Amino acid sequence: MDSNEIKTLLEKYWNCETSLEEEKTLRTYFRSEVPQAMSETAELFRYFEQQQKVTVSGKDFDAEVKKKIKEHRPEGKSVKMYFNYGRIAAGVLVMVAAGYFVRLEVRKAYPPEMEDTFSDPRVALEETKKALMMISNSFNKAHKEAAKIEMFNEAEEKIKGKSVEEKKVNI
Amino acid sequence: MNSEVFETRVLPTKNKLFRFAFRLLGSSEEAKDVVQEVMMKVWNGREQMGAIDNMEAWCMRITKNLSLDRLRSKQRRTTDPMQEGFEVRQESMTPYEKTEIHESMQRVNELIEALPEKQRQVMHLRDIEGYSYNEICEILELDMSQVKVNLFRARNFVRERLVKLNAYGL
Repeated sequence: MDSNEIKTLLEKYWNCETSLEEEKTLRTYFRSEVPQAMSETAELFRYFEQQQKVTVSGKDFDAEVKKKIKEHRPEGKSVKMYFNYGRIAAGVLVMVAAGYFVRLEVRKAYPPEMEDTFSDPRVALEETKKALMMISNSFNKAHKEAAKIEMFNEAEEKIKGKSVEEKKVNI
Repeated sequence: MNSEVFETRVLPTKNKLFRFAFRLLGSSEEAKDVVQEVMMKVWNGREQMGAIDNMEAWCMRITKNLSLDRLRSKQRRTTDPMQEGFEVRQESMTPYEKTEIHESMQRVNELIEALPEKQRQVMHLRDIEGYSYNEICEILELDMSQVKVNLFRARNFVRERLVKLNAYGL
């Protein structure tokens, strides 16, 4: 390729009208020695060529990425779904447990009322009567005993009476 | 996508991704991190990627986005006055890489680094990676005219500077 062709190609290049193929041609051309006038352009193209050869530093890059990929199993859809269900289940469990304990406390605070022990009302009446009689008997007994307290009263009255008579005698 | 497809279609793009990320970030360590991150993203999203026909352009696009995210968070960090004093300035290249690049290469490299971000991206994709204009549109999420304008400005900026440098020996 002669230098005139290169010059027109270069003009096109500066105007951004070259195709990728033509740009490749230019790069190939500038690989070899070029006239002094074009040395600065050669610098640029040689730079481009040289930059294409830059690679990732570290030979084990591939291995590193592959290892990371194997290790890093992103949680799949099903795992995520189970996780969400698990969260809901845990919430429900907490609610149920809390409810159970609250119920327990409430029962302790308000003991349930006495349940009916007799199904037949007549028997129930008899039993009630018996119970009431027992209470009445006990009351009567207690009342009798309490009557003895009267003695103290009488004694007190007597003492008072005596002391009044004594005073009269002294006067 | 199974791991075989991944190894034949995605993994081989690593060098292109790395170069692009390096161009944007200027640090090989960070560029490498970004490439790994891209790989993981592609792998994790492989079920939704059945419809993508140009896997490579897609990967490049993710690379661009992740790199720009990093740049932005880095900028935010450097504006923090507390950290300014403590953070050691990160060299863009290791000394080894520096000596490897020839002096003239270094000059061109500096010129390209001086370009505005969009122009730098377009020039990298076209002149180094050899992508078609359509692919560049797809990668950078720009329309055709923007891509061409940016490329035109980039090439002419570099050309002018190179001519000047050579003429005045600056």
